[in-house]
Amino acid sequence: MPGPVIDDARVAPGHDGEAVLVVQVRHENGGVDSVTLDADCARRLLENCDAQVASDLRGKPWQHLLDVLPR
Amino acid sequence: MLDILIRNGRIVDGTGLPAFHGDIGIQGGRLARVGGQLTGPARHEIDACGQVVAPGFIDPHTHFDAQLMWDAQARPALEHGVTTVVNGNCSLSLAPLRAEHRPKLVSMFQQIEEMPDAAFDGAFAWEWESFADYVAALRGRVALNVAPLAGHSPLRMWVMGGAEAQKRAATPDEIRAMQDLLRDCLEAGAVGLSTSYVDMDENLFPVPSRFAHFEEIDALAAVLGEYGRMLQVVPEFYNTDITLARVDQLAELSLRHGIPTTFSPLFDSAVMPENVSRVLDRVGEQFQRGARVWPQVQTRPIDISFNLEVASLFFIALPAWYLTLRMPRDRKLAALGDPGTRQGLIDAAEPGGDTQRFAHLRVRDSRDASLIGRNLGEIAKERSTTPAAALIDLSLDEDLGVHFLSANMGHEDPSRIGPLIANDLVHVGASDAGAHIQSFATYGDTGYLFSEFVRKGHHLSLEHAVRKITGETAQIWGIPDRGLLRSGMAADVVVFDPETIARGDERPAHDMPENGMRYVREARGVDTVIVNGELTWSAKGGYTDARPGVVANA
Amino acid sequence: MSELTEQRRFVTPEPDEDWPALAERALPGEPSAEAIEKLRGWNLHLFVRNPPGVLLGSDVIFVEAPRVVTGRYEGLGS
Repeated sequence: MPGPVIDDARVAPGHDGEAVLVVQVRHENGGVDSVTLDADCARRLLENCDAQVASDLRGKPWQHLLDVLPR
Repeated sequence: MLDILIRNGRIVDGTGLPAFHGDIGIQGGRLARVGGQLTGPARHEIDACGQVVAPGFIDPHTHFDAQLMWDAQARPALEHGVTTVVNGNCSLSLAPLRAEHRPKLVSMFQQIEEMPDAAFDGAFAWEWESFADYVAALRGRVALNVAPLAGHSPLRMWVMGGAEAQKRAATPDEIRAMQDLLRDCLEAGAVGLSTSYVDMDENLFPVPSRFAHFEEIDALAAVLGEYGRMLQVVPEFYNTDITLARVDQLAELSLRHGIPTTFSPLFDSAVMPENVSRVLDRVGEQFQRGARVWPQVQTRPIDISFNLEVASLFFIALPAWYLTLRMPRDRKLAALGDPGTRQGLIDAAEPGGDTQRFAHLRVRDSRDASLIGRNLGEIAKERSTTPAAALIDLSLDEDLGVHFLSANMGHEDPSRIGPLIANDLVHVGASDAGAHIQSFATYGDTGYLFSEFVRKGHHLSLEHAVRKITGETAQIWGIPDRGLLRSGMAADVVVFDPETIARGDERPAHDMPENGMRYVREARGVDTVIVNGELTWSAKGGYTDARPGVVANA
Repeated sequence: MSELTEQRRFVTPEPDEDWPALAERALPGEPSAEAIEKLRGWNLHLFVRNPPGVLLGSDVIFVEAPRVVTGRYEGLGS
């Protein structure tokens, strides 16, 4: 699937003291974007990507990030 | 006769100029004399030999709004030397607010700033709606000075109604009404306007300010321009490109309307090591153009806290732990209590007997007070076990209710933070004091500035550090009459020992209304705090009954 | 007035603007579905917050991919 892919995902402290997952997405031009997920969204992303841990997310297509929240 | 005479102090006057020795005389709430040897007499004398005498510290990012209504001293901020607080940050203020919107605002405060019900419900008589009446309610009630922001969210609710404010763009008529309302707030003493681009309400729905289009912010900034007052925003976290866009938006407003702007927080993290340097480069370019866009940077590191009740992302690098903690509660408790699963978790966390991963974790709250503040390495040694085993056992002992803390998980590298807060483009602030009270202590950032970055790291001189939290803050915010030790100015003064000033250890305290819990840090090395010429706290006598605080711009 | 270096381009939503209207404004001439897909990929931050994918008045919306950041970390001080 062409387009941006998840490049990295690392735990960082959130503003409220909770751990958050900062997901980096690499675009086709080489530029890197990032989004921040709370624990629930991170769990759904792992499920969407059939991943167990953050490192399993590497290389997964960006579309998985569109459904980390229920609409 | 002088009211107070401070003798033999090392005077650091808030300008950044070198310290000098001398006396300070206070009379009628003002600094009557700064420097020289005063003969007195005085009603009260303070021997400041070996101590620094500085302007009272100004904290530009607090959420003491509700607390000030039942705790005149904003404890423990005052004892840390803070004599002026900016409240009403992040789009939330207690005025202007119609009575019917109070429950909604309280819910937002509870969600965003983690304030318990008891901080609002019956804790004080809420008798105002307008900003002027709010200012009147503060008068004579507070021990320190207040520089209140008007919050954009209640402003929208007042004009558009609670439901519409969280639904749509304002009409031109509504924008004009918001302008008039903001003008009333500024006339009454508001130090500026706050807005937020990230915060969510109690239903995890965006707060009203986030529905405002740029035209609305622009119109409100035009009113700020009439008074030269501040626009404060909360930008999105962990996305440098968005922060840069926000810097450009603020710069445009600053240039167009001649106003100062500030965004908070800007923090450093190993996850995004380029973030701060890229943002500061842009801020520098905008300052070169004549804009004022002040990034607020906190001094303290950021911690992660958790308990085993929920599957914290802290464990995401340990699949065995993360998957176990994601189980339904009953299964999780059974798994943690199962000898085989327990041993598997311990082996995963401590491969080859390496116990370092969890040894640094501290117990931050437990029914067993003797455990609080101690790290798992110590506790495990005492119990002849390992830190991972102690983590499980302590949690099971209290039905998963024990809270742990992993300190210094972000904004934690002094070799990076020291030069950052010394940077002329950086505004030291973003303490969030009075918020997140059940997650971590937001007090003592000023003490930490001196202990970590003056004494230990030598990133700032004593004079530079004092200037950063006094004269510079007053200048950035346009707070008149404060921030410097100069004859004729308001007598906000802190006396402290430069060799020992620091923040105390974080500890739980049950001093909220109805014995509610919060985390606090006491002051170390602060001797005396004077507000508008009156003694409000001293190391020897504690808090006094004085209520000399004023609304700084009223 | 000093020149600014180029940054990633962005727009803010117009009142009542939806994704098709935004795509038409930001990427004129491109087929709507493709333009929307591009914008979604460049604005993932709008999908990981509530309500996902709904444009709020105060949002920053990027109209190009993130730029490649050159140079290296050179410290935080002035």
